[in-house]
Amino acid sequence: MKYAAFAVMAWTLIATAAARAAPPPTPQFGKSGRAFLEKHCLKCHRGEKPKAGLSLKPFRDSLSLIKHRTVWNDVLRKIATGEMPPKGQPRPTVAASVAFTDLVKAVFDHADKNAKPDPGRVTMRRLNRVEYRNTIRDLTGVAFDPTEDFPSDDIGHGFDNIGDVLTLSPVLMERYLAAAEQVMNKAIMPNPPAIIKRHLSSIYTEPASGDSAKLAVKGFRPMRTDGKRAIDVGPINTPYKWEPDGDYIFRTRVYGERNGGKPLKVTILLYDKDLPNPAPPAALDKLSGNVYRPSRILKTFLVKATKPDDAEILEVRVPAMPNRHRMLIAIDKPPTGAPPATLWIEYLALEGPLDPRPASHRRLLAVTPGKSQAEQTREVLSRFLHRAFRRSVTNDELARSSRLADQMMASGETWEAAIQFAMQAALCSPKFLFRAELDDNPHSSKIRDLNEYQLASRLSYFLWSSMPDDTLFNLAGKKQLTANLDAQVRRLLADPRASSLVQNFAMQWLQLKRIDFISPDGKLFPTFNAKLRSAMVRETELFIESVLREDRSILDLIDPDYTFLNEPLAKHYGIADTKGNAIGQKPQQPGGQRIKGELFRRVSLQSRVRGGLLTQASVLTVTSNPTRTSPVKRGRWVLEQILGAPPPAPPPNVPELSEEMKGITAASLRERLEVHRRKPACVNCHAKMDPIGFALENFDAVGAFRTKDGQFEIDATGEFTNGTKFTGPAELKSFVIQRKTEFVRCLTEKLMIYALGRGLEYYDRPTVEKIVKSLPAKDFKFSALITQIVKCDAFRQRRGL
Amino acid sequence: MNTHAALISRRTLLRGLGVSLSLPWLEAMGPVVSWAEAADPKTVAPNRMAFLYVPNGKHMPDWTPKQEGGKFELSPILEPLENVKHKLLVLSGLTADKARPYGDGGGGHARAMAAFLTGVHPNKTDGTDIRNGISVDQAAAVRIGEKTRLTSLEVGTEHGAMAGNCDSGYSCVYTSTMSWRSATQPLPKQVNPKLVFERLFGSGDKQQKKRNARQKSILDYVREDSKGFSNGLSTSDVRKLDEYFSSIRDIELRMERAETLPPIKTPDYPAPSGIPASYEAHIRLISDLLVLAFQADVTRVATFVLANEASNKPYPFINVPEGHHDMSHHGGDAAKQEKIKQINLFHTRQLAYLLERLDRIQEGDGTLLDHSMIAYGSGIHDGNAHNHEDLPILLAGGGSGTLTSGRHIRFKKETPLNNLWLSMLNRMEISVEKLGDGTGTLPNLFDPNA
Repeated sequence: MKYAAFAVMAWTLIATAAARAAPPPTPQFGKSGRAFLEKHCLKCHRGEKPKAGLSLKPFRDSLSLIKHRTVWNDVLRKIATGEMPPKGQPRPTVAASVAFTDLVKAVFDHADKNAKPDPGRVTMRRLNRVEYRNTIRDLTGVAFDPTEDFPSDDIGHGFDNIGDVLTLSPVLMERYLAAAEQVMNKAIMPNPPAIIKRHLSSIYTEPASGDSAKLAVKGFRPMRTDGKRAIDVGPINTPYKWEPDGDYIFRTRVYGERNGGKPLKVTILLYDKDLPNPAPPAALDKLSGNVYRPSRILKTFLVKATKPDDAEILEVRVPAMPNRHRMLIAIDKPPTGAPPATLWIEYLALEGPLDPRPASHRRLLAVTPGKSQAEQTREVLSRFLHRAFRRSVTNDELARSSRLADQMMASGETWEAAIQFAMQAALCSPKFLFRAELDDNPHSSKIRDLNEYQLASRLSYFLWSSMPDDTLFNLAGKKQLTANLDAQVRRLLADPRASSLVQNFAMQWLQLKRIDFISPDGKLFPTFNAKLRSAMVRETELFIESVLREDRSILDLIDPDYTFLNEPLAKHYGIADTKGNAIGQKPQQPGGQRIKGELFRRVSLQSRVRGGLLTQASVLTVTSNPTRTSPVKRGRWVLEQILGAPPPAPPPNVPELSEEMKGITAASLRERLEVHRRKPACVNCHAKMDPIGFALENFDAVGAFRTKDGQFEIDATGEFTNGTKFTGPAELKSFVIQRKTEFVRCLTEKLMIYALGRGLEYYDRPTVEKIVKSLPAKDFKFSALITQIVKCDAFRQRRGL
Repeated sequence: MNTHAALISRRTLLRGLGVSLSLPWLEAMGPVVSWAEAADPKTVAPNRMAFLYVPNGKHMPDWTPKQEGGKFELSPILEPLENVKHKLLVLSGLTADKARPYGDGGGGHARAMAAFLTGVHPNKTDGTDIRNGISVDQAAAVRIGEKTRLTSLEVGTEHGAMAGNCDSGYSCVYTSTMSWRSATQPLPKQVNPKLVFERLFGSGDKQQKKRNARQKSILDYVREDSKGFSNGLSTSDVRKLDEYFSSIRDIELRMERAETLPPIKTPDYPAPSGIPASYEAHIRLISDLLVLAFQADVTRVATFVLANEASNKPYPFINVPEGHHDMSHHGGDAAKQEKIKQINLFHTRQLAYLLERLDRIQEGDGTLLDHSMIAYGSGIHDGNAHNHEDLPILLAGGGSGTLTSGRHIRFKKETPLNNLWLSMLNRMEISVEKLGDGTGTLPNLFDPNA
C-alpha cells in the first residue's frame, strides 16, 4: 500500500477522531467486516465469475486483508467515494460505510505499526541535473554547467531524484555525450598554448604623468629617494591580470646611482587590496615613496651595477595565490645623514602562468615520476574511474579504459589527448550516469547492508547532491564509514555544499520551484517584478539555511523571531530596519540599521505577523491565483506540506468560485467560499482547509500585508478544527506548533523520500514513528533529524527484487 | 517578433528594404531535400504526421460547427482557420475512454494527456511504477523512422512541471508528456528552439565527422564495458539500463543513417538563440522549426505540446490574467467561459500560423500541407466537467491525397480516438494491428466521390 493513502487515512482519522472513541488496540476484521461484505458486496463479488473479476468472498479475517493491500486500497477508495455499491443497489448508510472503512484502515494501521523491518527497494538512480552538475564540478574541478541544455527531470513523490521516475531518453543521451566532450575539453588541455610574456618599458609604468617619458635617459627611468614629485619618487609599479592558480616570473632590468658607493637595496613587492599574508607595516615604512598597502615583499636584491651597460636583471617568482594585482619596485629610504640614492629602471616583464594548463589538467593527470607511460596511464585512469564510478574499479574496467587510451595514441594522439578521451568515455558510461548499488545477489529479497562505498554515495548525494569527497572515499575504502556516521554527518552538514539541502530538498518540499512560473496580474499587483520574485525565494533560502547552519530546532521553521530581507522585500513587508521597525512609524526598537540595496540582512521581528515559512511572501505567492488569494490553496498547502495530511482530490464537476471581483456578486471572497462549502460534498475537507487560509487572508496574492480586499474588510478570524479561535497568522503558527508531531512527521517523511529516492511504503511507518519520537529529547535539532535518517535501516540497507 | 526576425537570414535582409520582413523565409529556402530535386518527376513526397496538444478542453458551444459535411461554417473558435478551411477536417464525437477514472478517482487532466496518443489507462502513481502505453507517434517512428535522420521529434512550449504531483496523485510526467516510446519510457519534449534547431541540423560544426567517429568509439566502449553490469542489478534497475542501451542504440542508428541517407542542406539561417520571452513568439518559432523539419525531411513524425495538461498559465496578453486551468472550472459562469474561449482562439490562431506556413511551401504536385496530417486537439471536452467524450479534434492537411478535407464529420458516440490514430498510421502505410483501445480505422475520412 502506498504511503500517500495513509496520509488520506490519517486525514479521515483526524476528521472522525473527535466523534468516536479510539479504535481497539488489535482491530479484528472478523464478524462485523464480514457482515458488511455480505450485505453490500458479495451479491456481485463472489463465485466463479465475480463482477470486475474481483471476489471478496475469501476475505474473512485481518490477515487475509493485509495480504492483499492493493486490492483493498481500491475497495476503500470506491466505498469512500460512494462509487460502490453502484447506483441501483441498496446502499449502506454513511455511518455504516464510514464504520467499515475505518475498520479496514485500523487493520492496516495496526499491521503497519508492527510491520516487519524492510529497507525497501530503491531503483537505480540516474544523476539528475543538479547532481550531474555538482558531480562534474567535484570530479573534474571544472566550473561549468552543461545541464542548461538537458531536458528537465521528471518529478515523483514531490522530488526530482526518484529512481523510478528519472528516465533516460535519446535526447538526454545526446546531451550527455556532448556534455562529456565539453567538460573534458575544459578539464584537460592536450595542446597548451605558449606561455604569455609581457614586456613593459618603464616609461609606461606608474606613477605616471605626461612627463614620465621625459625623465628617461637611454630608456632607463629614474626613481629618486630625494625626488619632489610622485613620478620622481616611485615606487615604480604596474598592474597585471593574473590567473589565480598560476605561477609567474617577474623581471626587471636596473642599475643604481649615488648610494655612497655601496650596492643599492632594491625590493620587489606585490600588491592587492585583499592580499593574503601582507608584510608588516614597519617593513613597508622603511621603503622610499608611497608604497601601496597591503603589499608583500617578494624578494630583496643588492644592485651593484652603476651604469646602463652593466644593468642587472632582477628576477623573482610570483607564486600562485588568490589575489594579486600590482608589481612594485622600491628602494630603501637612505639612513639619516646618508646621501640620497637613485634607481634607474629599463623595463618590467612578466611571464606566465608558467603552466598555462588549467589546475584540473594538472590534478587529473598527476603521475608518479619515473613510471613507464603504460603505468602512468593506469595510475591516472584508475584514480579517475574510482571517483567517477564512486567505488573500487575492477581490473577489467581499468584495462578496457586503458585500451581505449592506447588506441587513441596508436591513432596519433598525444598521451594527454588519449587520457582525455578515455575520461570523456567514462563520463558516458552508465556506471557514472547512474548511481547503481551493485549486488552479488540482486534477485534475492534478503536484506543486506549497503557496502561502504554505496553508503558514502547515499550520504553525499543526500546532503550535498554530489559525489563523495576524498574523506568519504578513504573511510569507505578502510570500511570505517559506518562506524563514523555521526561525525561524518556533522562534517558534511558544516560544508558549504550542504546548502544543496536548501536548494534542492527544501525548495521542492515547499513547492517553491513553481514560483518561476507564477505570474501575478500586473494591473492588480504592480509592485511584483522579477527582482521581488527572486528576493522572495532568497528570503526562504537564507532562512532555512540559518536553521540548518545554526542547527536550530526545526520548529523554528514555523515561528521564529527573525528573517532575512533586502530592500525590495523589506519595502514589500513594510519593514524599515534590521530591528523590524515599521516603515513610516516611530521606531519601537532602537539601534536598527536601514535595509538598503540588494544585499540581504538578518532582521529581528517585533511581531509574529512575519517570520516562519507560513508567512513568507514566497509561499504566500505560490499558493495564490494570479488575480486573488486562494485560502483553499493555502490551506491545502499547509495541510500537505506542513502537517502531512493532504485532503483528498475534489469530486468531479465542482465549479470553482465565481470570479466577479466587484459588483456582480457583492460578496467577499470569504463569503463566497462559505457558500461554496455548504455543499455536502465539499464541507468535510473545506472545514479543514479554509480556516487555515482565512488566517492568512491579511496577505494578498503576492504576500503583502493588507486590511482590505477591494471594497471588503479582511476578516482573518475564525476557528480551527480543534476549536482554537484565531484572529490572524500568529494563532496559525501556534496551531501548527501545537500539532508539532504532525509537522515533524511530515518533514521526516519528505526528507526520507528525498534521501532514499523512492516513495515511502507501509513498512517505513515504524521507522518514521521511531525518528519522530526520538526528536523531542534532541530539542528537534535539524542535525538530529538528518542523523536519525542516515542511521535508519532504510538508508543503510537494501534488498533486491 | 524579435526572435522571429532573428531567424531571417542575413541574405533576406540584404535583399533590401523594399522587401517586407515578413517574407516567408521557409518557402524562400526552396526545396532542401534530394527527393524534391530528383530528376524523376514522379518521385512523390512522403506523408508526414504531427500531433498538437492543447490543454484543459475547449469552450465547446463555440468550437463545434453547427453543420456537418462539406457545407459547414467555421465556428467562432475555428474562425482563424478560414484560409485553410478547405484543407481541414473537423472531427466530432471521438472519445478518449481510457482517460476516464475507472475507479482511480481524480486526475482527469493527467489521464487526458497520458491517454491521448496511447489509448491506454495510465497507472495512477506519483512516482513508483510509472506505466502507460506506446503512443501513436512512436508506433510510427519505430516503423518508418529509419527513413529519416530523426525517427521523431518531440517539442513543446511549456517546461515540465517543477514541483509536486501534478494532478491528484499522478506524477507530473503524465501531465507534461505526450509521447511514449514504450509503456515505461516517456519522451520529454524539447522546449528550447536553439536545442531543437541543433537536433535537426547539427550545431554547424565542421568537425562533425571526426566527432561522430569519436562518439562511435565511445559508444562501443560503453557497450562493451557495461556487458556484465546488469548481473549486479535487480529487475527495476535493469529496466533503467535498458533505457540507456536503447538510447545509445538510437544514436548509433542515427549516425548510420546520416551516412547512408542523402545529405540534408542545413538551412542558411542563423540558429535561434533561446526561448523567446513571448509565448506567442515561442509557439511560432517552434512551429517554424517543425515546418523546417518536415520540409527538409529530417523527420516525418512529430508531437508538439502547446501547454501541459492542467496548465495554469495566465494569458494577460489577450486580457486573461487569470490562470487557464482556474478559468476552465467555469461553473457555467459566462464571463469565465468567454475567457476560455479567448484562450481557445489564441491557440487556434497559432495553429493557423503553422498550417498556413506548411501550405505556402510548394512540394511536387502540391504543398507541404497537402503531404501532411496535422492532428490538433485536447483530451478533455470541457474543462469544467472533465469529460473525455466528444473531444475537440481537428485533422488538417491532405495526407498525400488520402483525406477528403473541408468537412465536419460527426462520428457515432464513443468512437475511440485511437481509431483516428490508426487511420493516420494507415495513411503512412504503416499497418499496426493494435494501438491502445483502438478498434479499427475511421470510416469516411476519404470520400472518393468528393
